[in-house]
Amino acid sequence: MVLLARLGAPVRGFLEFLGDQAHLVLRTLRDALLLRLDQLPVVGGQTKLQVRFTGLDAMWLVSGTALLLGAVTLIQAFSQLSGLGAENYIGTLMVLIILRELGPLLTAVLVIGRSATAIAAELGAMQLNGEVDALATHGVNPYQYLLLPRWLGVLVSVFALVVFFDAMALGGGFLVAKLKYGLTFGFYMDSVRKTLTNRDFAATLLKVALFSGVIAFHASHFGLRIRRSQTEIPQAVTKTVVSALVAVFSLDGLIAALLYF
Amino acid sequence: MIELLNLALDLTEGRQLVQEIQLRVPRGGNQLITGPSGSGKSRLLKVMAGTERPAHGTVRVGGHQLWPGDGVLALGGKVRLGFAFAAGGLLSNLTLRENMALPLRFQGMPPAEVRQRTEAALERLDLLAVAELRPHAVSASARKHGNLARVLALAPELILLDDPLEGLDAGDRSIALELVQTWAADPDCSLVIAAEEPHAFTHLKAERLQLSPAPVESP
Repeated sequence: MVLLARLGAPVRGFLEFLGDQAHLVLRTLRDALLLRLDQLPVVGGQTKLQVRFTGLDAMWLVSGTALLLGAVTLIQAFSQLSGLGAENYIGTLMVLIILRELGPLLTAVLVIGRSATAIAAELGAMQLNGEVDALATHGVNPYQYLLLPRWLGVLVSVFALVVFFDAMALGGGFLVAKLKYGLTFGFYMDSVRKTLTNRDFAATLLKVALFSGVIAFHASHFGLRIRRSQTEIPQAVTKTVVSALVAVFSLDGLIAALLYF
Repeated sequence: MIELLNLALDLTEGRQLVQEIQLRVPRGGNQLITGPSGSGKSRLLKVMAGTERPAHGTVRVGGHQLWPGDGVLALGGKVRLGFAFAAGGLLSNLTLRENMALPLRFQGMPPAEVRQRTEAALERLDLLAVAELRPHAVSASARKHGNLARVLALAPELILLDDPLEGLDAGDRSIALELVQTWAADPDCSLVIAAEEPHAFTHLKAERLQLSPAPVESP
């Protein structure tokens, strides 16, 4: 019995976590539909702050990472394939590696590192300081004021960052192709365009929607669970990062299996 | 306005802190809850506010059942509630003025009225000089006054005050006490105060409830 209980505890914990995630998502969606027009400026203001922090402030980091990744991918690929007519496959390579997989995935990893951690720590500190209780008692619905703007802000930011990441990575790849192999922009983009399909756009949009939900709600779950002491804040941040990374990689694998397998 | 039936609170380790409380505060009524530190006054106020779940029992505010149920979210803005916390409670990323204004803006109040109510509350609590500062940049007594000012600006039907005079110097104390007496005399407002030192409220016309400290169990 003791062994069974030991085996069952993590399963029960995981199911409780899934239940709590479902509750947070459904409650936030329901309360979003109940928002009045005169409450939109307050919620909109919070959303703008989240977009600025998660999206705008991360632009340089994402640009630099994407530019280097695009350039390095092309250097490595050409070092192996040169002489085999590899320039004809540049577009295929960039779409397969960057646009389909690494763009959304690395953007999500960067946002988890920068913003999911910040959201978990901020909500945890607010919970400890009684700010969440104060909001609720004074008629400010925490799902509408705290969770919805964070979700929307992360959604808008991840979408913008993925587009930016893909563009910069393609730019980095083109720089290498131009400087080392003398390819023209027209040839390079034509090669990319031929490989890109509507399914790739759909997969990217699906990933953006799911990854941003994972980031916002995992961070909110672990942040809002803090009850007693400040020492719980770093623990919540660590749990957020680990849990969000596992979820993002699992979803990425699932989407690849469903759409491309 | 507020009704507690067979209410019990547990400590985190499961021991019973408060048991079988029956309490009814009518509209315009005042209730003073006293007891030593650790007797459960603050927890009881949080249960009344719907932010903390009781071990068992029923809590109703303005005819809406908070427990068992959804807590304060069950009110959905249908009852105006004000809670002055003993410590914390002000949003640390907003200035004191923004803290006063947020619940009013969220109610959809016109900006001119929000401004007028916020300024009046800040002035009454002597906070105009620090209104543009965030809570961590002001003194503990200004934060305490900030909590009271937020309640004042909201003009609630039910006010819950957790040790509103604790840690205030003589000047700040008299400002806060004067405001508490105004609320106590208001026939449209129900007032519940939790205080460790009841002598500050001896002249207050209120029902009294004395809580005892939780018994310590021998190992």
